[in-house]
Amino acid sequence: MKEITLTINGKQVKGKEGDTVLDICQANGIDLPTLCHFKGLKDVGACRLCVVEIERERRPVPACTYPARDGLVIQTKNEKLEKYRRLILELMFTERNHLCAQCVASGDCELQSLAYKYQMDNARYPYSWPALPVDSVNDYLVIDHNRCILCGRCIRTCDEIVGVHTLDFGYRGWKDMVVADLNQPLGTSSCISCGACFQVCPTGAIFSKSSAYKGRPEECQKVSSICPVCGVGCQIEALVKDNRLVRIDSPDLTGKRGILCHKGRFAPLYRNNERIDTALVKNGRGKLESRTLSEAIGIVAKRFAELKARYGSNSIAGIASSQASNESLKAFKELISGTIGSELIDTIDGDIYRTIMQGINTYQKDAALDIETSIEEILKSDCIIVVGANPLESHPVAGSYITRAASQYRAKLIIIDPSENTFSYHTTLWLKPKEGKESLALDVLTKAVINKGTKKDSAQAKKVTASLKDINVKQVSEQVGIGSDELLEAAEILSKSKRSVIIYGEGILQHKNPGIITSIFKLGTIASGQSASKPQIISLKPKGNSRGAWDMGIASPSQSVMKSITGNNIKALYILLADDYIEASELPKFGKGLEFVVIQSSYLSSATSKANVVLPSPIWVEISEKYSTLDGVAKSTSRLIKPTDGIKADSQILREISKHINK
Amino acid sequence: MAKVKVATVWLESCAGCHMSFLDIDEAIIDLANLVEFTRTPITDIKEFPQVDVGIVEGSVGNTEEEKVLKELRAHCKILMAWGDCACFGGVCAMRSTLDKEEVLRRGYIETESTYKGKIPRPPGVPALLDQVKPANHVVKVDCYVPGCPPEAEAILYALKELLAGRIPVLPSDMMRFD
Repeated sequence: MKEITLTINGKQVKGKEGDTVLDICQANGIDLPTLCHFKGLKDVGACRLCVVEIERERRPVPACTYPARDGLVIQTKNEKLEKYRRLILELMFTERNHLCAQCVASGDCELQSLAYKYQMDNARYPYSWPALPVDSVNDYLVIDHNRCILCGRCIRTCDEIVGVHTLDFGYRGWKDMVVADLNQPLGTSSCISCGACFQVCPTGAIFSKSSAYKGRPEECQKVSSICPVCGVGCQIEALVKDNRLVRIDSPDLTGKRGILCHKGRFAPLYRNNERIDTALVKNGRGKLESRTLSEAIGIVAKRFAELKARYGSNSIAGIASSQASNESLKAFKELISGTIGSELIDTIDGDIYRTIMQGINTYQKDAALDIETSIEEILKSDCIIVVGANPLESHPVAGSYITRAASQYRAKLIIIDPSENTFSYHTTLWLKPKEGKESLALDVLTKAVINKGTKKDSAQAKKVTASLKDINVKQVSEQVGIGSDELLEAAEILSKSKRSVIIYGEGILQHKNPGIITSIFKLGTIASGQSASKPQIISLKPKGNSRGAWDMGIASPSQSVMKSITGNNIKALYILLADDYIEASELPKFGKGLEFVVIQSSYLSSATSKANVVLPSPIWVEISEKYSTLDGVAKSTSRLIKPTDGIKADSQILREISKHINK
Repeated sequence: MAKVKVATVWLESCAGCHMSFLDIDEAIIDLANLVEFTRTPITDIKEFPQVDVGIVEGSVGNTEEEKVLKELRAHCKILMAWGDCACFGGVCAMRSTLDKEEVLRRGYIETESTYKGKIPRPPGVPALLDQVKPANHVVKVDCYVPGCPPEAEAILYALKELLAGRIPVLPSDMMRFD
């Protein structure tokens, strides 16, 4: 880009064409106050604090929206401009009801900091004292309109970064205010509670219930980590005070993968389930009672050794939740497969793993999960196909990439799902195949794209084309319940796409039908856009570390150990739940032959009450361990807070049990 | 040199600013050599003499407070405002968004512990103003020490500036609104 030279405050500075005056000031260390500006958001010139004088301009102009040109002569600081800035601050303070002494943001407020900077020790203007509402219907967030300065940062973030565009300005002029949807409470609106608006709010107008009055940033320790809750693998930055989480933010909110969701930003600040902080052993009356960890480990090791000696290794089974960390799962495998020597090891989501792998291997023999693409692909694509998934609920950050791609980057969004979906607002086309006809519906769409004459000549593409040669588009589209017009429109979009990606999830996986997965890959082969050499497909896996558990071979490749628990051959069972809250109904019925059950879990639940021994697990904010994202990248968490005494890492307990058995 | 005469008042406030002033600790001894406190809530003198410096803590929320502030202004050369209430309205001004009758009803009748409450309106009880005002919206104020309460250091700084013959303006790092 062309370099330009400007004169700012008498000094020559350089910038690029396309920069704003503010960009150039900031790049050259020239201090300008801002409130509505936020790095990575489009500038709107709402607050007017960055006003500068530019030669030949009749009046001061905001630097954030003024395009820099070669030869501009700019003054950023003089008595008049400083007077204006203080005047703007006084007007802001008198327009609404800014009472710092009782505000959650006091001490961490950009408006207040600027008032200090400009020594605003009084306000000359009459106060308006408008009667304004406080919206606290949302589970996590409060909008206090009394403290809003209408900078619009929240609105732009909600639109440009999150992509859901729940917030916008409502009313006009003097009555202007931030509203959700068509002026509903935030809690009943289309808000996904990602909290991005809270992070960008310069005042206390949008605040988090769980962070309010817990501590000011300067009193807190800042710890960087990743969130392992759903497998998207978002970077987080936590503020911690006195071993308590104060708030969780994104370190780079407006960056490519910057946004967070309520599962990572807010949920860790709440305690909804009862924690297990000591080992529990069932007594003679069938009640769980507290024991020391070493006593409990001794009991587990002794019983397992006995049962193994009496019934053989394969009488003992191990089931793990894919929410456990890679370290925990590794130690779990060592215990079950190594020390005990059992072949019966599986994950709770093992069926899903087997469905996906069988589907992939029908498409391509010996292919592994790395045939899938990365989550970033969503933001690079011009067409996104969502098949049987509800990412805004299950993987909200991935969901927001989809809405952002559709709303900001104008990607086409095709939904293939018979059930309701949260994307309706952004959807280009919604195909609703009949239940049970999903696989055929995908095949007929693939065929329709082939009929458009797409130029794909890879061996795979030829194979796919051949496998679909008998499909008559018109006939089959009726059979699957999709109008042929819609189908052809979808085919048209896909044939024109340069880069497309398919996302599928729960809605498909619940059927446990590998045929649908194969059909998704066939569609991907033909329709992943001209620039893609392989199908661009992402599966939204059920748990935060499903990919890690599956890659490590914890999920059984061939048999469902989960199901075999119901039979009579299994005498002992070790269930590693870690911080996954699982109810008994999510586990298979225990067989009559089962003599001894160990559950290692962070939370008490109907499942743990069925165990003979319960061992305590830490939760993810209490450990520094690795998790694999759903697109296969191992990322490390950092310990944010210390667990209570007596809670040790899962892997440590598992290894101690192994050691005891080997003795 | 004659001592500088000072009068202070607290209007609608919590007395916190005066308490913060007493937090200047041993500096008060040196100050006492230079300053004479006349009418203050601490000395409990009711009449205003002519003074050099008037100090107001608190906002103006009723007719009595308005009268006292005007009287103080008339009796001092320089008027200094202490605290968020006097500088901005402060916590007392939270009621300004509400109708004053609603405020009285809530306070005297609707409070959970009140049985058969009544709004007292005997003659002589000052009436509430429609809105709570900072001092400078009633009279001319010459200098400000915001804070809730202001730091003792900020109060001392402002007093020292006055004694040195300057109108104090708090430097940015001494400014606070909480």
